[in-house]
Amino acid sequence: MRLPSFQYLSPGTVKEALETIAAHKGKVLIVAGGTDIVNRLRQRLVSAPYVMSLKAISELKGIKKNKGELVISAGTTLREVAASPEVSGLFPALSQSASCTAAPPIRNMATIGGNLLQDTRCLFYNQSELFRKAAPACLKQGGRVCAAVKGATRCLSVYQGDLAPALIACNAKAVLKKAGSSRTVQVADIFSNKGKRPLAVEEDELLTRIVIPIPSGPYSCAYEKLRLRKGLDYPFASAAAFLSLSAKGVIDRARVVLGACGPAPVLVEDAAAFLVGRKPGDADGLSAARCALKVCRVVENVALPASYRKKMAVVMAGRAIGEALGQLSGAGA
Amino acid sequence: MVKAEKKKINLRVNGEVHTLLVAPHLTLLEVLREELHLTGAKESCGRGACGTCTVLLDGEPVRSCLLLAAEAEGRQVTTIEGLGRQGALHPIQEAFVAHHAVQCGFCTPGMVLTAKALLDKTPDPTDEEIRLALSGNICRCTGYAKIVEAVKAASDKGK
Repeated sequence: MRLPSFQYLSPGTVKEALETIAAHKGKVLIVAGGTDIVNRLRQRLVSAPYVMSLKAISELKGIKKNKGELVISAGTTLREVAASPEVSGLFPALSQSASCTAAPPIRNMATIGGNLLQDTRCLFYNQSELFRKAAPACLKQGGRVCAAVKGATRCLSVYQGDLAPALIACNAKAVLKKAGSSRTVQVADIFSNKGKRPLAVEEDELLTRIVIPIPSGPYSCAYEKLRLRKGLDYPFASAAAFLSLSAKGVIDRARVVLGACGPAPVLVEDAAAFLVGRKPGDADGLSAARCALKVCRVVENVALPASYRKKMAVVMAGRAIGEALGQLSGAGA
Repeated sequence: MVKAEKKKINLRVNGEVHTLLVAPHLTLLEVLREELHLTGAKESCGRGACGTCTVLLDGEPVRSCLLLAAEAEGRQVTTIEGLGRQGALHPIQEAFVAHHAVQCGFCTPGMVLTAKALLDKTPDPTDEEIRLALSGNICRCTGYAKIVEAVKAASDKGK
């Protein structure tokens, strides 16, 4: 099916891009890699009079290690993120999440910024216009019913990005710019946790960079993903874990984040109690992983049953925590 | 409603530059098939999930159904028609024939191009590397074992 008609804009700098967004506020869709937005355009899930491409903006590409932080420009492709020795050396969870996203040809196009800012998904929403029109409009389409959960009053579409849980676990920040101003927020804060409008990003803002502070002491991180095939699948449940050690060799920070378990990545706050204050060899990874059950909010809206995904969220959390603990032990901690 | 103006683009396809006036909402796949009549790349799923629309962009496989034609400007596009020479198949295509890696043929151009991108970078891939490289291409005849065999045969070690 053809895409809907639009005017194509291709600014050469971030400044021009911000001016373009400001000039056509609310009427511009941004294409970075295109792998997500082109599909949504084709399925008539979104439309706008203008489509702005970021391909000519060289400032939006590249990975740099600055003093004490790793900076990944938003237009960097997932292939570049997955293949970067700097990323894999500093934050293996990020490499793992990028290298298991979709499939190699998609990763050649898709960008880290686009992956992060993807929409939530649902079996009943991410369908052709013809399919959707055969039933009453769902909550995400502005209707009053939920096709996935009978009687639901709020949209429970699921956020299935792979990069976000890993970035949140690693304490990453996002730089959002608009004409005349800029703000830096925790990656966790760009999610509203509302299925209908899942991103807390204003329509005239452009994500330009991801900044990840490099901890000074020993630390480790890992990402695990539930999928049916080794290629192409979105996560059905996923988990990222980050651990850091104090000078005395005990865990002083632990962040476990679930993906594909609700309309936003979820921080498993209770998990820290079973990890922090203990040496990696004495940490209770299993109990920490079980805390995922309390915060996992899955419903029947993807191709695997919610009951199975819930159990597997615990398994994924356990594996990610186990791998992160193993890395710390391996580092001689 | 904003009237969408046609856009002049220079597309370098299989080494030849084409200057085209296209509607900006057309994908590279649509332009290749309908304007340049290069019908080797196919539309199957139309949402980037299957790989039948694969072309090489600067030597890397991409989904031409998810790429606006305007986005390919200034890049080198290689389609299946750009492999081999008049009357002679490319060695990867020959290996696909010799190993019966073609059944209905719909996925074949995408498989061959993805294999070419792999072998250009990794002339001696392991079976695992071949499977990983082809993991974004679906063969609904399920002839994967023969396809992996063909790619192996076309690699340096297989020759």
